[in-house]
Amino acid sequence: MSVQGLAGASAWSRWRTMAGVGVRMMFHDRLKLLGTLTGVVFACLLSNQQAGTFLGLLGKNVMFIENASADVWIAPPFTRQFQGGKLLSDAVLNQARATPGVAWAEPLLLQTAQVQLPTGGSEPVSLVGTRAPRFAGGPWNLVAGDAPVLAQPLAMIFEDSEREKVGGLNLGSVREVNGHRVQVRGFTWGLLPFGPAYAFAEETLAREVLGLPADKHTFVLVGAAAGQSPEMLAEELQRRLPQTKVMTRGQYRGEVIKYLLTATAIGISFGTSTLFGLLVGFVTVALSMFSSVIDNIRQFGTLKAIGATTWDLAKLLFVQSCVYALTGSVIGLFLVTRIAEVSRNPNLAIVLPPWLLASTAGTMVLLCVSASFLSLLRLRKVEPAMVFR
Amino acid sequence: MSGPALQMRGVTKTYGTGALAYTALKGVDLQVDRGEFLMLVGPSGSGKTTLLSLMGCVLSPTSGEAYLFGEPLHGRTESQLPPLRLRYIGFIFQGHNLLPSLTATENVALTLELRGYSHRDAVKEAHHVLDRVGLLDKRESLPEDLSGGQRQRVAVARAIAGRPPLVLADEPTAALDAQSGMQVTTLLKELATELGNTVLVVTHDNRIFHLADRTIHIEDGRIVPPPRA
Repeated sequence: MSVQGLAGASAWSRWRTMAGVGVRMMFHDRLKLLGTLTGVVFACLLSNQQAGTFLGLLGKNVMFIENASADVWIAPPFTRQFQGGKLLSDAVLNQARATPGVAWAEPLLLQTAQVQLPTGGSEPVSLVGTRAPRFAGGPWNLVAGDAPVLAQPLAMIFEDSEREKVGGLNLGSVREVNGHRVQVRGFTWGLLPFGPAYAFAEETLAREVLGLPADKHTFVLVGAAAGQSPEMLAEELQRRLPQTKVMTRGQYRGEVIKYLLTATAIGISFGTSTLFGLLVGFVTVALSMFSSVIDNIRQFGTLKAIGATTWDLAKLLFVQSCVYALTGSVIGLFLVTRIAEVSRNPNLAIVLPPWLLASTAGTMVLLCVSASFLSLLRLRKVEPAMVFR
Repeated sequence: MSGPALQMRGVTKTYGTGALAYTALKGVDLQVDRGEFLMLVGPSGSGKTTLLSLMGCVLSPTSGEAYLFGEPLHGRTESQLPPLRLRYIGFIFQGHNLLPSLTATENVALTLELRGYSHRDAVKEAHHVLDRVGLLDKRESLPEDLSGGQRQRVAVARAIAGRPPLVLADEPTAALDAQSGMQVTTLLKELATELGNTVLVVTHDNRIFHLADRTIHIEDGRIVPPPRA
């Protein structure tokens, strides 16, 4: 076969050729490879750790809403967080029950109470009162006991991870809550919001402990009838109960998240940390790739001299960027998931949903490709004539 | 194809502009016939590298006319030159310039793949030319595992792979001992004769002058008659 008559490589085969050269160059210079991968791994690790912690904190604030088994929440007006406010009257509960499309409606109580410690002093809990026998908004994630035990006299369920804090609780322990005697009948795990841990009691006991009258409720939880759209039901309930705020589960969850992001510094704080991680990764990758180009400038000059174009070299850098990004992502995500597992505790969970892990790889590719532009600018100026000097 | 391999008429090359302008070639007239084995010699700063760069289509002339196998080089932008390099020229560089991360086969095949060979054909041709330079048993070796002479023989294989009509060699013996330098140049001459390549070697090494069909002398940017012995 002779050179003459050949029209040059097809676009695909040029891609393949330059990809092969790029990958071989990467793995030949192992120190640079290690340096660049460290940058990607660090960016991946830090940004995911921050984003995962942020999602974990958001989760703490909305976990009750997500686990309460209610399709629709009726809350006091202007509610933006999950906490007790102005109480709702029994008329709201009755009106909800009388609304077409409602399968059930139950009251829920939520207020802070003080647990008397054996050593003196007290510890706060967020006491949830839930009505038997449905126990809507009742305990979940139980490690001892079950919701129906709340129907027993004086029964309360506490958070397992707070047992020592609340005076060494065990099943059967007797404590005073707001001066009322209660007995420990079960434990939940991980039900720790931003504030005090959740504790659960049947509605009647909760009213006694909290001093709430029988016709006042913190929330009214509503279950939609089969085939009933929660959104349409919420609209109808809002129309009938204009003095309340009616939200579907998703709307309430969104409302709380929106409040945290806009009215607190949590979003800015974690967003800044995440961006900082990405920035450090970007700078490390950019400098490492640039340094690699400078070290191998004569090789790039040779490639140009034998017929490669700047566009060919851009393909080479692109492939290198993708390999750096994907390899670094695999290592970084492995590490961050291990860290999340090891550090998981009821106080703080790093939440890494599949969409976050998947988007990390995409973000790292973007980061590495962007970081390679500095190198490309240098390569654009490489003259093939340099190899003759 | 017919006509000379390379033709230059009144070619100048100036670097920079204004007060900083430097003219490296000052009206070069030159014709290289097909199949010639030429050597280009001259002192440092005489314009050898610039002339080689123009012949190798890595630079464009500032003025004058230059033709490579009948195709005009003058008036082309530098971005229009890579296809000409791929089509017509094989290079041998002073420091062999093999990519250190690629094996001997891959270094040779790379040029061929850029020219449009399929990977399979490129590897086949690479093995063929490595066999011709006596390095088939080293085909999977990286440059760092080869001696200086072997590296330069791989560079020769890369330059002749695919039978480009013109081979340009820039000081191919500079980094080699006398024996290796002679072996590499002799090999290049034999292969060029066998394959019909036109070869131009830039060199300072007077031990290999006798291998040339013709020697071109350049001084101060001009082609000059050879000095009297």
